[in-house]
Amino acid sequence: MDRASRMHIITVYSENQIGLLCSISGIFARRNIDIDSLTVFPSEFPGIYRFTFRLSVNEETAERLVRIIEKNVEVLKAFCFRSNEVWDSEHETVAAYLREHMNNNQ
Amino acid sequence: MKKRMTGAEILLESLIAEGVDTLFGYPGGQILTVYDKLYDYSDRLNHVLVRHEQGAIHAAQGYARATSRPGVVMVTSGPGATNVITGVADSMIDSTPVIVIAGQVGTALLGSDAFQETDVVGMTRPIDKWTFQIRRAEDVAPAVAKAFHIAATGRPGPVVLDFTRDAQVGEAEFEYRKCSSMRSYVPEKEISVEAVETAAKLIDEAERPLVVYGQGVLLSHAEKQLQDFLKKGGIPAASTLLGLSALPSDFPYYLGMAGMHGNIAANMMTQRCDVLVAVGMRFDDRVTGKVSEYARQAKVIHIDIDETEIGKIIPVEVGIAGDAAKVLEMLTARIRFAFHDEWRLTARGYFEVEDREVMAPELRPGAGPLNMGEVVAKVSELSGGDAIVVTDVGQNQMSSARYSRFTRSRSFISSGGLGTMGFGLPAAIGAKLGRPDRQVCLFVGDGGLQMTIQELGTIMQTGAAVKIVLLDNNWLGNVRQWQELFYDERYSQTRMMNPDYSKIAEAYGIACRTVERREELDDAVRKMLDSPQAFILDAHIREQGMVYPMIPAGRRVDEIMLNKGKWFEENGQS
Repeated sequence: MDRASRMHIITVYSENQIGLLCSISGIFARRNIDIDSLTVFPSEFPGIYRFTFRLSVNEETAERLVRIIEKNVEVLKAFCFRSNEVWDSEHETVAAYLREHMNNNQ
Repeated sequence: MKKRMTGAEILLESLIAEGVDTLFGYPGGQILTVYDKLYDYSDRLNHVLVRHEQGAIHAAQGYARATSRPGVVMVTSGPGATNVITGVADSMIDSTPVIVIAGQVGTALLGSDAFQETDVVGMTRPIDKWTFQIRRAEDVAPAVAKAFHIAATGRPGPVVLDFTRDAQVGEAEFEYRKCSSMRSYVPEKEISVEAVETAAKLIDEAERPLVVYGQGVLLSHAEKQLQDFLKKGGIPAASTLLGLSALPSDFPYYLGMAGMHGNIAANMMTQRCDVLVAVGMRFDDRVTGKVSEYARQAKVIHIDIDETEIGKIIPVEVGIAGDAAKVLEMLTARIRFAFHDEWRLTARGYFEVEDREVMAPELRPGAGPLNMGEVVAKVSELSGGDAIVVTDVGQNQMSSARYSRFTRSRSFISSGGLGTMGFGLPAAIGAKLGRPDRQVCLFVGDGGLQMTIQELGTIMQTGAAVKIVLLDNNWLGNVRQWQELFYDERYSQTRMMNPDYSKIAEAYGIACRTVERREELDDAVRKMLDSPQAFILDAHIREQGMVYPMIPAGRRVDEIMLNKGKWFEENGQS
């Protein structure tokens, strides 16, 4: 696995919960990882917000961060990819997840 | 039919709907409305009034660990909430289902530095499984339902409900619906059959397989599945600190405890096995020693319900995310019968060395002051290994873990990951109130007892018949041990003056007996165990007592100190 630090983009789909941004940025802060840029906006799915973090970490750390973020009770899905990659299936993955879990009572 | 009621009442009705009958708490300004309603529910909800909010949460932890039902804590805002923070962090790292209901000022006052206002959501979010601020009465029942679902499923953990005053006094229609799923929280994913098959193949090919299991086995009630798996595969097994009692101590394939003060066999065989199956454990540094040298020769199979644990510390050959009971069942069905007699019997040599070099001087010294291990072993022997053993943190904890023998599951309650001194006494009270049918023995040092000694008042008021074994050496023994071994015997701030505990016991109306001589021990322990009430056995033990064997922090788990200046050598066994 590539150990070098590179720019990664982590995207997070979550319930709109006050404090969740704080909680996710806390995951980075606790591990001394700087956030280079951050955006939050409503996703294409109703009621679900999409966070995008750009940060410089190695691949292994990026993948572990995604799993830790996904562990948060209010996070539906998280993804990471290298900043020069384009991943077309993100929308489809979230859509499939929602089809499976949409009827769970909230 | 839906009924209109206040948020405070909805909270209590919701707790009852979740099967709660006991809560641990302390009243105060911003939770008064709930306590007022509680007055009308005293026939259905037993509220245990502790003496400090830290006591409430540790008691709830002890209750949860003894009963496998979530513990419930109720405190006020501000200092009430900040006083439970240690227990929230402790519950998180030790996967204990606890629900904290903390009062909060009215929503209009949030952020205004109102009296006893503090940012509970901001403080607890990084250290709990879920935090939610309840702002309206109609949100109370759904929040409680989610809290129980989240706390108890998947990898259990603490949940904090920040209960604003508006939500307590406001009214809403009450209808309780249990929560069984949430779209953003999927605690158990489907177990990968492919991973299980790969693991089964590795186990079948192994010549020296080893299982190291943790509290996950207890949490998923996988005790039988673990035994079936070990028997079919002929696999020896070691426990972590929190896994203790999941296998009976006399189980033939049992090697004892792994880790810093664990058994030699468990640690040495970790370094010799060719396949290591980790079940419901998280490779704490107290288990692994030097991580880069831990079981390097072995292919590791890691089973845990929490995916983020897999590969976090130790690289794995196969990771299986899932409930331990289900995964073990699937594995047992797929592996071949095997015996590995020769491999399993290598444990004997290690047991002999440990018995001769460590246990004989600790448990059978003949002369001199009482040893900590002797007291623990005597309590264990005379209670028939049937008691729930609760410990504080430090030497008392390690001695209890080493020298208690277990015949029943869920019989060891201790603060593992956080190592919270002061945990023991309130946790023992919670365990006893949750399991009044079982003998509960607390092992606690003089340092830890004094951290939460005010909870003797809770014993006085509830009559909880906790048997308190005070391992009293006038030192903060574990730190003193490190200072002796690694800090040139510079005993900085570890010598401690003690009060007269018999007078303290008397003041609280608790029977007490002080023991100094070996000849008195048997009789004193019998009296304590036979007492129908709480009892303090103040055992004056060797002041400079040490817990061995010991793998110094940062060393490999095969670098084992047998006593001061003597290291275990592989060829030294015979």
